[in-house]
Amino acid sequence: MSRSDVLVDADWVEAHKGDPGIVLVEVDEDTSAYDKGHIRGAVKIDWKKDLQDPVRRDFVDKAGFEALLSGRGISTDDTVVLYGGNNNWFAAYAYWYFKLYGHRDVRLLDGGRKKWELDSRELVTEVPARTATSYAAQAQDTSIRAFRDEVVAAIGSKNLIDVRSPDEFAGRLLAPAHLPQEQAQRGGHVPTARNVPWSKAADEDGTFKSDDALTALYSAAGVDFGTDTIAYCRIGERSAHTWFVFHELLGQRNVKNYDGSWTEYGSLVGVPIEVGDGA
Amino acid sequence: MTQANPGGPAVADGCGAPAGTPMVTDAGNQAVVQGKVTRGGSPVSVGYARLLNSGGEFVAEVPLGADGGFQFFAAPGDWTLRVLAPGGIRAERGVTAAIGEIRTLEVAV
Repeated sequence: MSRSDVLVDADWVEAHKGDPGIVLVEVDEDTSAYDKGHIRGAVKIDWKKDLQDPVRRDFVDKAGFEALLSGRGISTDDTVVLYGGNNNWFAAYAYWYFKLYGHRDVRLLDGGRKKWELDSRELVTEVPARTATSYAAQAQDTSIRAFRDEVVAAIGSKNLIDVRSPDEFAGRLLAPAHLPQEQAQRGGHVPTARNVPWSKAADEDGTFKSDDALTALYSAAGVDFGTDTIAYCRIGERSAHTWFVFHELLGQRNVKNYDGSWTEYGSLVGVPIEVGDGA
Repeated sequence: MTQANPGGPAVADGCGAPAGTPMVTDAGNQAVVQGKVTRGGSPVSVGYARLLNSGGEFVAEVPLGADGGFQFFAAPGDWTLRVLAPGGIRAERGVTAAIGEIRTLEVAV
């Protein structure tokens, strides 16, 4: 796995966005961003409406994912190029989600929507008409998805990386600073977790830092690259960004995203919680 | 992605970004930092507002709304707001957030 297999830049997108077999997909935290303008030819996936089960707290099932991608005109063999705002936060989540269901060729536009906008590249409101397909997904690859019991078992034995902001890690905030602070659960972090905010992996323009800079960042925080890793945040989106860094950019094996994250862990009865800024 | 919350500030449904979120008028138990970005008196609708902590570390980012607006629910303390917009435009403002209070910044770039 090399960087060029999983990341493309804006010039690549400009050159290939109309090619057969290439599908651009915008996935944004702000689900209305696409409607205000998107890269020509891009389709939209709504991280919440399209990717979450409407009743239970879980993802849409395999059949649901197949129906979603079929309806968007995405084929099993297509190269899917994802992009979105906020350093590709939700696009990285969608990347992980596509990998969970076994899509072979997925890439991120480095810098995402923000760099595209700040560079004053073209955005259009025209929605492309794509012919429906018969998409075939794989069974969920749970080697990249962590569940709560694995997180409890990982305390003190695996790398636990809490990628939320320092105030959330310490328990002073329960949500990122651009969201109201819900009070639904306890604040703090999983004992022995290291706090490396997800955003440190990106430069200010949203592009990923170099492999050397990323390795130095996590090493300095005490991450042991010889050990399995579980990343978590509040609801599993920011940690998907860090999962992408570990698994796709740095080529680490046995890296999981815990999508239940703090909203689940911080509500569990009886599990250990640590508060404060940590070591 | 936000909804009215009688007697308090807007409540996010899940993790939706509040781009263009109307300004709140009652902070409730939140430490609100909000404002508008303008250029030559007109709203800057394409751009980003970033919140950096007192150590200069990035904490949160939102796209500007159609009216140039932005909004954060911060922890109490000192923050730096940084605005990025096309054409290499950058601006910074210092702000001190406090629970139950709304800090409003008008940022002309």
